[in-house]
This record gives sequence, C-alpha cells and structure tokens, in this order.
Amino acid sequence: MAADGGQDLITLTTDKLSADGVSESVTCPSCGAVSLFIGTTRDHFEGKKVIRLEYEAYSPMAESELRKICREIRTKWPSVRHINIQHRLGVVPITEASVIIGISSPHRSDSLEAVKYCINTLKATVPIWKKEIYESGEPCWKENKECLWADTGKDPK
Amino acid sequence: MNTEQVSVLYFAKSAELTGLKAENITVPSNISSLQLWQHLETRHPRLSVLRDQVVLAVCQEYVPLGEQLLTLRDGDEVAVIPPLSGG
Repeated sequence: MAADGGQDLITLTTDKLSADGVSESVTCPSCGAVSLFIGTTRDHFEGKKVIRLEYEAYSPMAESELRKICREIRTKWPSVRHINIQHRLGVVPITEASVIIGISSPHRSDSLEAVKYCINTLKATVPIWKKEIYESGEPCWKENKECLWADTGKDPK
Repeated sequence: MNTEQVSVLYFAKSAELTGLKAENITVPSNISSLQLWQHLETRHPRLSVLRDQVVLAVCQEYVPLGEQLLTLRDGDEVAVIPPLSGG
C-alpha cells in the first residue's frame, strides 16, 4: 500500500473476470496511464486441442505472494498509483481470461514496465497451478518455465 | 526428541499422487526439509516422481529440499509445492 493512498487490490475468484472492471478500479485523476495485461486460455498445446483449463491455488500464500509483488513494484516504480491483480480459479473456458493485471501511473513508462514485471514474477512465485484438459488424452499439469523448480533443464541461478 | 504435529497440504499433481488434500503428521521439531520430504515419500511412495521438481512451503515461505533445518512447532502448516503454473 503506497503512502499517498495508492491501493493494492488482489482477488482470487471463480467468477468471470472483467477487464473493464479492473481498468476502472485503477483509473485515477492524477494518472495519465493505465496499463492492462490479460492472460487468456489458448485452445491448443503441441497440436492437441485444449477444451478447458482448471486452476487451483494455495490461496492464503498466493495472496501473500501477490502482496509481495505489489511491494516490489512500488519500490521499483514509486510513481505507480493503483495495482489490481485478479486471478481466476476453478474451470476457465477457452478464450476467457485467467488473469488480469491493471496498474496506473502518472506517465506510461512506469505502468507498462510494472505490468510486465508483475506477470513475469507471478508466473515464477505465486502458488497457483493450471491443468489443461484435452479433447483426447490425459490432462496435464502445466509448468511455467519461470518457476525455478520446474523441469526445464535450466540451471537456476 | 521433541516431536510436533504439523498439517501437510497437497496441491496439484501431489494431491493426485497421494489422493489427499491434507493430512496431519508427527515429526521431530528439528528436521531438515529433505528429511521432511523423505518422510512424506515414505508415507506416499508415488510422490517420488516429484522429487526433483518440488519445493515445500513452511508457514507460507518457500523452502527448497536440502539440509536447511526447519524449526517446526505444533500446528505449523507445510505445503507440497509442485512446479507453478499460474498466470
């Protein structure tokens, strides 16, 4: 939470997410920029047709990790005003949003960079898991390459 | 030797492998994260497929599997954390 009234809004929900809602929640008179990231579900993976995604979270820790990300954002980009991070849980149909991040700042550079940092760090650190359900074949728990303990063959440093 | 009762939460693939979302276990107060994992593997041998791709969360802080000594207390919450896929 910023000293001047800037808000960190964090929501984990099974409800459908709204980009308009997120955008409106971070808009403010002192800010010339609102940057949004929307993560949507793709309908294919390695030639297989994905029919839906299912998300699961360690909710209390996911919220605390998201709050850590907000604190890091405010340290790196002090001009950031409001941050709203929404992640959907449970079943997410194809093309619907699974995550929406909205950040406002007086000038565009900070909110654009902060949104990029936010989604990249979320993928590396927030305890949420996604399972892809295919038209045929076994479902698969996905692994983010950003996660240090995923089996990507990458040596984490 | 002091022992503590802690709760263990299983998520994603680990929940499927154990067939559990949560259980209570009794472990020594001073135990390394690797020893704690080995204890879980002994209870649930199917967890072994995750051994190289898992960390623990103890009181909601990540702990990699290793020699690091945990100081567990009664009622502490430990979670098995397979590779993340949020976002």
